[in-house]
Amino acid sequence: MIASSLLPGLIIFGLAEERVRLRTVLNLSGALVKLVLVGFVLWGVSQGQQYETRLALLPGLELVLRAGPLSLLFVSLSALLWLVTTVYAIGYLEGSPHRSRFFGFFSLCVTATVGVALSGNLITFLLFYELLTLATYPLVVHRGTEAARHAGLIYLRYTIAGGALLLVATVWLYTLTGTLEFTPQGFLDSVGAEQHTALIIIFTLLIAGFGVKAALVPLHGWLPLAMVAPAPVSALLHAVAVVKAGAFGIVRVVYDVFGVEFAANLGVLGPLAWLAAITIIYGSLRALFQDDLKRRLAFSTISQVSYIVLGTAIAGPIAAIGGVVHLVHQGLMKITLFFCAGNLAETLGIHKISEMNGVGRRMPWTMTAFTVGAFGMIGAPPVAGFVTKWYLGLGALQAGQEWVIIVLAGSSLLNAAYFLPILHRAWFQEPPNTWPKEFDFGRKETAWMLLLPPVITALMALAAGLLAAVAFSPLEWAQFIAEQEFSRP
Amino acid sequence: MSAETYAILLSIVMVIAVVWPLLLTIPALHSRLYWPRHLAIVPAALLTVLPGDISRQLPWLLFGAEFAIDGVTRWVLAMSVVIWFIAATMMKSSKQGFANGRTTTFFLLTLAGNLGAVLANDLVGFFCFTTIMGYGFYALFVQNGNAETQRAGRLYLIFLIIADLLLFEALLLAAFTTDNLRFEGVRAAIAKASSSQFYLWVTFIGFALKTGIWPAHLWLSSAFKSTNQATALLIIGVPVVMGWLGAVRWLPLGEHAFGISAMIIQMVGVIGVLYATLKLCTPTSVKIVWMSSGAASLFIAALGTGLAHPTIWRQYEYLGYPFIASLGGLLALLIVTIGWTQKTRHQHPAVALPRVDILSRWIGATRQWVEDTLLGLPSLWHVSRLKLVKHYQYGSHWQKLRDFVVGWKAAITLFVLLGLALAWLAT
Repeated sequence: MIASSLLPGLIIFGLAEERVRLRTVLNLSGALVKLVLVGFVLWGVSQGQQYETRLALLPGLELVLRAGPLSLLFVSLSALLWLVTTVYAIGYLEGSPHRSRFFGFFSLCVTATVGVALSGNLITFLLFYELLTLATYPLVVHRGTEAARHAGLIYLRYTIAGGALLLVATVWLYTLTGTLEFTPQGFLDSVGAEQHTALIIIFTLLIAGFGVKAALVPLHGWLPLAMVAPAPVSALLHAVAVVKAGAFGIVRVVYDVFGVEFAANLGVLGPLAWLAAITIIYGSLRALFQDDLKRRLAFSTISQVSYIVLGTAIAGPIAAIGGVVHLVHQGLMKITLFFCAGNLAETLGIHKISEMNGVGRRMPWTMTAFTVGAFGMIGAPPVAGFVTKWYLGLGALQAGQEWVIIVLAGSSLLNAAYFLPILHRAWFQEPPNTWPKEFDFGRKETAWMLLLPPVITALMALAAGLLAAVAFSPLEWAQFIAEQEFSRP
Repeated sequence: MSAETYAILLSIVMVIAVVWPLLLTIPALHSRLYWPRHLAIVPAALLTVLPGDISRQLPWLLFGAEFAIDGVTRWVLAMSVVIWFIAATMMKSSKQGFANGRTTTFFLLTLAGNLGAVLANDLVGFFCFTTIMGYGFYALFVQNGNAETQRAGRLYLIFLIIADLLLFEALLLAAFTTDNLRFEGVRAAIAKASSSQFYLWVTFIGFALKTGIWPAHLWLSSAFKSTNQATALLIIGVPVVMGWLGAVRWLPLGEHAFGISAMIIQMVGVIGVLYATLKLCTPTSVKIVWMSSGAASLFIAALGTGLAHPTIWRQYEYLGYPFIASLGGLLALLIVTIGWTQKTRHQHPAVALPRVDILSRWIGATRQWVEDTLLGLPSLWHVSRLKLVKHYQYGSHWQKLRDFVVGWKAAITLFVLLGLALAWLAT
């Protein structure tokens, strides 16, 4: 699964710019092969099969890749959205320079994400996590403008600092326990009570390290700046790889390093839940005042990704389902929104919300997809976001943490406050006589390679909510994961 | 035809009644059909005339949904079909092309939500379809509208979002209490739960906001004033009647005596009826708003009685749905008749009042109430129509504000009287 994106990526690096067809074939075949492989492994794991690869790194330390239910949820999401994003990126970057470099790093980025997902221990996780940082930096600065370089620098500072914290925490943890192997319900049960203070510090360091990529407040500063990157990169950062890797890291730490019960007894989950709640509200509040569409979406991501953290920190099986399933749901909805934002920019030169009057008439399919994504973010049924909020709310009641309901209600209200005016503008305001910068696509509203991906992902977001109860739905898979994490052997 | 085959046929018609208008929302599809809005109603119309009761589980939909039709649901469905059919006929868009296609899309989306909510037999399904219906109706309401319509639409949207949030809380409480989210299952389980009072209030307030009963009638009056006749008809058929239906289905009626809460709901209903009656006497009010608000209040008073006396509700429960259907049908008939009368007499459909924002209105209302009541002025006396008009003749500085606060003055006074009555009853 890792090689299916690594090999095409390495070949693409060496391709000349004009080898468009070969590059496209390599990109798409890599993405398709990965998807097929994920399908096979998914089927195997659902039938009780186990897949694991070990490679010795240092004495006592191994590079471990393991396909468990939680890993596969993230891998499936990455593989599926990588294919869609690749199609979109091919259309988006048509005719632009440095495409081989772009697609090379693009493939490397997905390789690192799959590595992060499949990691069987903390050290493997850390290696791929850092690879992800290095692979995404060239994508952030791809345009080469002053703003892009500045954003890239900030991104690098944040993520390298976060990586350093992770390294310290990992080494410290290894010295305490002698193992870094991800284990259901954690591997710290045997650590004596005298080490609990150290464990609390380690937990804090790990959360701070992963919190940078997950954009937890106050470590979120890089994310709105990174909006200068091209739309496919934004989609990758927000929905497929980077912020997801951070959130996934937090889930791993709570479930497979500390264990939910142990972490709850240690008293670290309460503050984490509060931090997530603050981030949810803060992100929404900041989004409310942004006129730049991508910046508004960026602050929305800050808010929405913390649902995953909140679901994990509530420490109950039902809330866990809400948190885990949001890994997929947020990805589907947010990638739709970013694709649509890219379409508006590439077709009509629209970057600001104040420029969106009547755009629904000019680009109905794009704005329909955007509408589905926006309603999903609000948590309106039957879009996927409703399922997340349902399980988070129910989980909060189950765990006796009723305050979470108020946070969810407040967040929904704020989401409505910053998404509905956009929809109102787009559908019910009169369009201007001229758009900021209009490109001609004949009778079509935009290029089909730009239009198809958001329509597909919007349909998937709708299906994930509407058909939540069917077999192999993200919800069913999340229920399977929660069952594993919360059932004592 | 065997009973089994007939049941399958009925189930198919029931599912198609919801899915067909949803499918037709796709512009490429409805633009190729003649009379798509009317065609979309046909399966639902067929369902109203096909005899027999049926319920069908759709385990793949949402968390597992269920549709059902029986004798009493058929009443509401029939009323909805009639209202939508009249609205479809009345809604002859003057614009062609995009605007017309868009109107049809929103019309069909709202219709599908409405029919789905009528046929849903569980809380999640009902909530999902009413959400689709609510936002679809907003789009239908504001599109092609002027600035005043858009303002009214925004107000409706605010009420809708708050109502949906409250109902979502109720839904969570219900799901936390029981795994069986069918209406009767929730009613039975929630009545015994410790959170029953909280559930009762969030549900009641949620649906009160949707139906526009006093004192949550702000959006209703604003919406009626600013819209055309076809949409006014749909205001009754879509948010108002569905709010009543939801209240009957969600509230734990006939299960447990709710004492003081039920009494408050009864009194809110009674005050709403009185208030609407008083407003109907004022020359400046839009009559249909108060007819609707009064009818909703009457219904709320009945619900309050049902909550206070479960045995009475159980005895007359079967009248609930025909009551909703008749009330909705009657109001729809009134709108059509008024519209027709005004059209033949070339009158404007509604008297537009000067616009004052909500904050000023509340501040002004409170100020007016303090002036008139606390300072010893006979506030209730002012409610009478002649005195109000006289009172306004002397006004200069607060003229515009007072045009509005008259209603709120009466409302606040009645609210205080309600509080006093409750305090007295409690002691």
